[in-house]
Amino acid sequence: MSMNPDSENFDQLRRLLVLKRHELPPPGFFDKFSVQVILRIKAGETGEPASAAWWSWDGSWLRRLWAGLEAKPIMAGAFGVAVCGFFVAGALISENVDTATAVAADNRTAATDFVQKSHPTPFLEQEVAADFPSIPQSPVLQAPKGSLFEQLPQREIRPEARLVSWPLSGGN
Amino acid sequence: MLVQRAREGDLQAYDDLVRRYQERIYATVYHMTSNHEDANDLAQEAFIKAFQALKTFKGGSSFYTWVYRIAVNKTINFLKQRKNKTQMSLDDLDFNAEHDPDLVALISEKTPRREVNLAELQEKLNEAMQKLSEPHRLVVTLHDVQGMSHEEIAKIVGCNIGTVRSRLFYARQQLQAYLSDYLK
Repeated sequence: MSMNPDSENFDQLRRLLVLKRHELPPPGFFDKFSVQVILRIKAGETGEPASAAWWSWDGSWLRRLWAGLEAKPIMAGAFGVAVCGFFVAGALISENVDTATAVAADNRTAATDFVQKSHPTPFLEQEVAADFPSIPQSPVLQAPKGSLFEQLPQREIRPEARLVSWPLSGGN
Repeated sequence: MLVQRAREGDLQAYDDLVRRYQERIYATVYHMTSNHEDANDLAQEAFIKAFQALKTFKGGSSFYTWVYRIAVNKTINFLKQRKNKTQMSLDDLDFNAEHDPDLVALISEKTPRREVNLAELQEKLNEAMQKLSEPHRLVVTLHDVQGMSHEEIAKIVGCNIGTVRSRLFYARQQLQAYLSDYLK
């Protein structure tokens, strides 16, 4: 078979292709065409569509990636699995972090309760002092100053044993 | 000389150049894309790009060949991006199509499907063209539709004449197979 395209019997096809020469744009199209070109040149366009400029400058890697994924379904599947894996790993890690945060929060709450029980807030202390001025303030109720060791009471409070007699009514 | 004046920034001269070549450039891009809106955009962008790059035009080839090359490269890049998203927006056939002796003969005598009308034939032909690869479609467009010589095509495409011939042969074979219902 000859490779010379003109020697083969493509007459029918060539006749059919003549039809393409009769496809014409709407009337008046070419009257405006050059005007639009000149206007776009005056407007400072570079002959690149805005989206193409973005792709070529900033997104060429994305375009290549997309083309690669389109061409190879296996790659697309692997990419999908990788993305899913990323999100699952993220979820698991965030769960661990939540647990650790919750434990830490519990510890903090317990410690806060302990401190609050040991050292009521100054607000409560002031309230007590205002309502009961005659009651000497316990050193324990003093506002915390410095380290915890400095807040130890100056004098020790020792329990005293006293005899108490309760009057019993109607008793034996 | 228009090219020299345009190179110096004379837009009136460049307007004259655009008017001189707009129909051929548009037609090439249109036959490659089978889409009027895309062809309009791409042809305009090709002329704008050519104006911006005029300072780099050495004059080794004619301005016509140079602009053609810009338009063809732009169109092929566009088609690669558009891949598998062909949406045809065909231009209407002019009144003369119905009286073209080649087409009249083709439809009334030789075509097995005699009931076919020109609009249907146009659609099938464009569909078949879109099935060709871009290099093959380009060669058919430039040679069989626009009537360029193998030498001119080789200059525009940037390959040797043998490659043009072999591409043309293969493209015609493919088209003949795709359009076998309409050819005999």
